[in-house]
Amino acid sequence: MSHDGEVLLLDHPVTTITFDGYDAIREALFNKDLSRSFDKRTYAQGNVRDGVVSIVHGATHRARRRVENTEFRADRLRLYERELFPAVLETMLDRLTVDRAVNLFELGELLSVVLAARRAGLDHDPEDLGQLRRLVHFVDAFSQASAILDARDPDAVRAMARQAWADFEAEFVRPSWATRNEAVERYRRGEIGAEELPHDILTALLAHRGSDPRLELDDDGRVVREVGTYLQGGTHTSSQTLINALDLLFPAADRDPGLRDRVVADRLLAQRVVHETLRLRPTTPKIKRRAEADTTVAGRRIPKDALVVLDVATANRDPRLFGPDADEFNPNRPLADDVARWALSFGGGPHQCPGRSVAGGFPVPPSFEPDDDHLFGLVAYMLQAVLRRGVRPDPDRAAVRDTRTERYTRWSEYPVLFDPPREAVPA
Amino acid sequence: MARVTVDEELCVGTGDCARIAPTAFVVDEERNVSIPLAAAAEADIALLLRAARNCPTQAIRVVGDDGTVLHESA
Repeated sequence: MSHDGEVLLLDHPVTTITFDGYDAIREALFNKDLSRSFDKRTYAQGNVRDGVVSIVHGATHRARRRVENTEFRADRLRLYERELFPAVLETMLDRLTVDRAVNLFELGELLSVVLAARRAGLDHDPEDLGQLRRLVHFVDAFSQASAILDARDPDAVRAMARQAWADFEAEFVRPSWATRNEAVERYRRGEIGAEELPHDILTALLAHRGSDPRLELDDDGRVVREVGTYLQGGTHTSSQTLINALDLLFPAADRDPGLRDRVVADRLLAQRVVHETLRLRPTTPKIKRRAEADTTVAGRRIPKDALVVLDVATANRDPRLFGPDADEFNPNRPLADDVARWALSFGGGPHQCPGRSVAGGFPVPPSFEPDDDHLFGLVAYMLQAVLRRGVRPDPDRAAVRDTRTERYTRWSEYPVLFDPPREAVPA
Repeated sequence: MARVTVDEELCVGTGDCARIAPTAFVVDEERNVSIPLAAAAEADIALLLRAARNCPTQAIRVVGDDGTVLHESA
């Protein structure tokens, strides 16, 4: 199903065509004539999104993704999920739940930002909460900047983003850049092997810029913004998904008192909860594309420059694919083998979220029997860890949705309470 | 015997196909693209189709021994 409309971008009308059918959206996501290169003055100019991987199109996009995807291969995913994250998770939670009353949004971001910064290539001290909060400050700024098309005050967002980008570069990127550049130079001189180079996005970009003009990375600012994109992408959406998972799980657990314990005990169930959450609460409910040329989607003619809106939130509830209870939270729902449990929430096609397997792990096997190589995704680990510590809604403080954009699945505050630590409970 | 090809104009080197079907695909680490191995022709068709369906850019084409296209690339 599709419908047409018109929006004003910088005072000139642009045809908008909205699709809300699952198959039509999948077709659109693979259409080579639909790009994420929106009107530059509205979206990219003066914004942290200018020229980043999620915006560039065609050969440049492909070249960047090939270089950057080396950090998302199975061996790297396994290292992060099985070794690095478990080591960080419990230590961080010990420190962040001392007060018992906690804003889950901030907690989720702090848990996520440590490894997101590491993958991006930003040196930091994971023990230094002040430094982690500073990184989260940039994540929040970049998240607002990336949602500028849905912003209620785009000029204010652009000004805020410019300042954040400059501070981010000075405080985190340049110091990390200097050490990595030195390592890359030593590698080029043959003084160290490839295995001794840091494994992160910044190093990958520095090692390849100059060797492939299709990367379009001659401008230092692009490298800075690219690294910021990975920091933001690896932090903000994971925290939002954790909150949405609990927001769906709390009422479900009231109806089914054993559910919490089962999720804590069964990591594959925790993963299915995360996937079901993503289906019902996609962090980007409406994906947008621009027509680079006249094209066709699901038989509909799309004129050049039209804005194509892909209503993922509606398509994700298609009863034909997800059953008659598609609007309900049911992490055990049966699905056809070729339908993803997260539906279209990671997008698809060339721009599919590169962090899909980081946050959500590998697809859940239809048998519900994972093999030894299966990864569950970092959000499932976070979910189990906070449930194990007795997380529950704070009855005295209401949760607050993020109303700065029209992305209604996002929260700015989600107050929760945790149990006292076990050793403090009287015998 | 299946005929398996990877469209290098589409592949973005996630390595997912090599993870799912390691006997059929390998990542060329120089170019960061996936390439089908000779053994792909003998690989389990169900596994090949799983790798093809999972490919985020739909770069993999699988043709059955009777010439039927079992999975088309994008």
